[in-house]
Amino acid sequence: MDFTNLPLHELAAWVNSNPDLLDEMPKDFSTQCSKSQNLQIFISFNPHNLFQDVVGVKETLRQGKELPLAGATVALADNICTMDSVTTCASGMLSTYKHPFQARLVEKLQAKGAFMVGKTNMEEFGLGASGGSSHFGETKNPWDPSRSAGHGAAAATATLVTLALASDACGEARQSATYCGVVSLKPSYGRISRKGVIDYAPSLAQPGIMARSVRDLALALEHTAGDDPADPTTLQIPVPAYTSLLNQDKKQTFRVAVLENWDEAPGLEEKVRDAFEGQLASLKNAGLEIESVPLKSFQEAYLAAAVISAVEAFSSLANFDGVRFGLRGEGKSLQEMYISTRTEGFSSKIKEFLTFGALVSNEEYYQDYYLKSQKMRARLKQELRTCLEQYDLLLTPAVPFAAPLLAESRGSWPLPDPACYFTAAANLSGLPALTFPAYAAPGLPAGLQLMGRFGDETTLLQAALRIEKENPLQLPEHEQGFNDQGVC
Amino acid sequence: MSKLETIVGLEVHVELLTQTKLFCGCSAAFGADPNTQVCSVCLGLPGETLPLLNQQAVEFAMKTALALNCQVAEEITFDRKNYFYADLPKGYQISQFFQPIGTRGYVEILSDGEPKKIGIHQIHLEEDTGKLLHVGDILSSPFSRVDFNRAGVPLIEIVTEPDIRSAEEARLFLHKLRSILRYLGISDCKMEEGSMRCDANVSVKPRESSTLGKKTELKNMNSFKSVYKGIEYEVERQGRLVEEGGEVIPETRHWDEVQEYTKAMRSKFVSADYRCFPDPNLPPLDTSRDWVEAIRKEIPELPDMRLDRFVQEYGLPLYDAEILTASRELADFYEATLKVFQDPKMVSNWTMGELLSLLNDAGLEIGDCKVTPESLGELLKMVQEEVISRNIGKTVLEEMFASGEKPDAIVEKKGLVQISDEDALSEVVAKVIEQNPKSVEDYHGGKKKAVGFLVGQVMKETGGKANPQMVNEMLKKQLDSQ
Repeated sequence: MDFTNLPLHELAAWVNSNPDLLDEMPKDFSTQCSKSQNLQIFISFNPHNLFQDVVGVKETLRQGKELPLAGATVALADNICTMDSVTTCASGMLSTYKHPFQARLVEKLQAKGAFMVGKTNMEEFGLGASGGSSHFGETKNPWDPSRSAGHGAAAATATLVTLALASDACGEARQSATYCGVVSLKPSYGRISRKGVIDYAPSLAQPGIMARSVRDLALALEHTAGDDPADPTTLQIPVPAYTSLLNQDKKQTFRVAVLENWDEAPGLEEKVRDAFEGQLASLKNAGLEIESVPLKSFQEAYLAAAVISAVEAFSSLANFDGVRFGLRGEGKSLQEMYISTRTEGFSSKIKEFLTFGALVSNEEYYQDYYLKSQKMRARLKQELRTCLEQYDLLLTPAVPFAAPLLAESRGSWPLPDPACYFTAAANLSGLPALTFPAYAAPGLPAGLQLMGRFGDETTLLQAALRIEKENPLQLPEHEQGFNDQGVC
Repeated sequence: MSKLETIVGLEVHVELLTQTKLFCGCSAAFGADPNTQVCSVCLGLPGETLPLLNQQAVEFAMKTALALNCQVAEEITFDRKNYFYADLPKGYQISQFFQPIGTRGYVEILSDGEPKKIGIHQIHLEEDTGKLLHVGDILSSPFSRVDFNRAGVPLIEIVTEPDIRSAEEARLFLHKLRSILRYLGISDCKMEEGSMRCDANVSVKPRESSTLGKKTELKNMNSFKSVYKGIEYEVERQGRLVEEGGEVIPETRHWDEVQEYTKAMRSKFVSADYRCFPDPNLPPLDTSRDWVEAIRKEIPELPDMRLDRFVQEYGLPLYDAEILTASRELADFYEATLKVFQDPKMVSNWTMGELLSLLNDAGLEIGDCKVTPESLGELLKMVQEEVISRNIGKTVLEEMFASGEKPDAIVEKKGLVQISDEDALSEVVAKVIEQNPKSVEDYHGGKKKAVGFLVGQVMKETGGKANPQMVNEMLKKQLDSQ
């Protein structure tokens, strides 16, 4: 049985009807992993617990309970807290840190029969997806190991897992999915509890889901979403049955706004332009009616997101002070200890980012940067709301470029990051966004993004399923596994 | 009158008497062993900094705002005040910077017998920090340890306008404020335990000048007395400086409780720029009209209103009413006693006089008192009905205070019932007259006062139980008939 490669609903059906199949799962997972260890996708595994978890899930199934995610293997970005393995945030600050609790979404996934197979490498504290800041080296893209893979999507691409989860504060999960050629969903703000997720920008962040199919996204969302009394920002509205709603798509056409002047994005690559234009032409077959719509504030979104996320990060990561947990540097005084802890513990990328955040929120610059960015955010929100009153969806490229070369991202980071040009708007507005791969030529995929109305993931999933049928997902050939030279 | 005028504004921090902390379920109780009332939220562990707002704390703050005549904000919002210190787990304090829960209120005090309003600039809700523990002095201690039990306990900060003109007014304001807050039941306001803390901004200016002088901020005043003394000292220091042509340096000064002076504080490396911004984890909470009105209804009669009513309704002198209403518990005790025994002045005399002095001597509060209003009422009834004398009554009250026993039980056990039986008394009266011929002689010689001595002798013979009124009459009758 192919645990890591089967569509989730099929897998769950098999396992529910025959729980003993689960006995093979841990081995299946480790076999898959050994084929791709050169990609450095995981920071930690917990195979011991995997066996324990199998016993637990089998027991529940034997008692006659149905588990909709039974058999699903899940990779968690390493800023999602688990209590039985380290949660490092890919940072030297937390390289040995064990959290006392499971993140809420982990509890939920486990309760439905999913297995947390490991913690994936990512950019330090989940900031950006271009590579180069992890304390644990660079994850290599399964399509091309010289390129960045971002946060955990590589685990889905390399069919090591059914699902990968990662924080999405300015688009990181969607960027990772785009670079690695899988689908991803950042739900509406507050859809999934952030309890136990170490976010750098709480007003923007949502856990994002990465998978190989729209149906898997829907199933995973259905069982991770929901109000959480421990997270005051979760939505207090019922979670729709996304999977059954996917089968009830009775709409004639979806009215889709296409962002006017999308091709003015900084760093837009030919490949992405071709893939996007090619995709636009085929959307009609999928029942999507497109129209170009100007959104004046869209191009400012990633600038505003850079400022707001940096200010929130400078404050939200202030608890890494060496006093209560994590790394503690040497120092004769408290101040010296702070300085040595944060100097040693953070990468230069995070330090630059936090410095930027402290700068744009100080008395002198607060008005011109932080406050101005919040006003831009309010304008964008309003403009998107108006747009989505007339249209069902908004379509843009996902990222202006395909996976960047790792060599290029080492050492310097643009503030703001052009990778967030299309993705940050969904974080600023709280709207749900879904990305899927698009192909212009063989090799590295590009990606498209659909944004929907607040709280309406259903329409997004239905439209994406139509597109998926027209334009099936491709995976890199990897029968022999991956190595540093690329696909074997 | 001095040429200089004193200008004082106070910042008062009050810890709220909520069961739990402001943003997590940890107990907010005082005095537990270090770090036994902490959780992942109030310790600021990564991924656990999602605050869950304590509704009771919001309501306490709202109630305070209403009681201090403030406008209540239309929505409750919280901001992050960012700075690094070892007692601050998250690296920021959640406070209300942009939109305090209450603004533009006042508290009325009686300054030199005249009513005066001290403006309340704002009231805001925030979380307390932890506490650093040192071996001896902070500078000589080989290490610092941190107790996070207080971290996250809800505080309200009450900031006055610079309306206070003397140390005495500051003292009066604090007393009034404490009385109001205790009436509301939102804090125990114990300065010694730190549940009420007060910083003072002090400046002086020439009386005719309209611009304020440079101010200093006084900290570390741990009692009402030290607030008074600290301000007095600082006013004198600044006055001397100004008169000598010097300048006041705006700075934070530390009140030295032992040597009774203020000194400039070694500045912490705390940045003055707190980079406040709205806390993204706390959605704004609307304060609906209905909610505010429901809270307003919960406000009990406050000390000023109660004082007026005591004067009007019970005909008490202002002095009595002031003492009885200064504490809600005492006023409640008084009124509960009145339900049993309906003589307002007599209950007032016994409560303020005998009972309060017993409490003071024992260092207790009315809440710790074993005497119940019911038993005090019964005691007073026995005194009024002359079952026991006033003096015996005092003895019985002492006994009640010590043991908590009922007055009738004490009177019966000790056989203290007043002797009002003429037959029983006449024997003693005859005996006293016989044994004190000198006094009898004096009486007949015109010294009518001598009868007082004889009454005293009868009381002594009966162990204080004789009805003094009757004894007096019987003695006179006997003497006059001789």
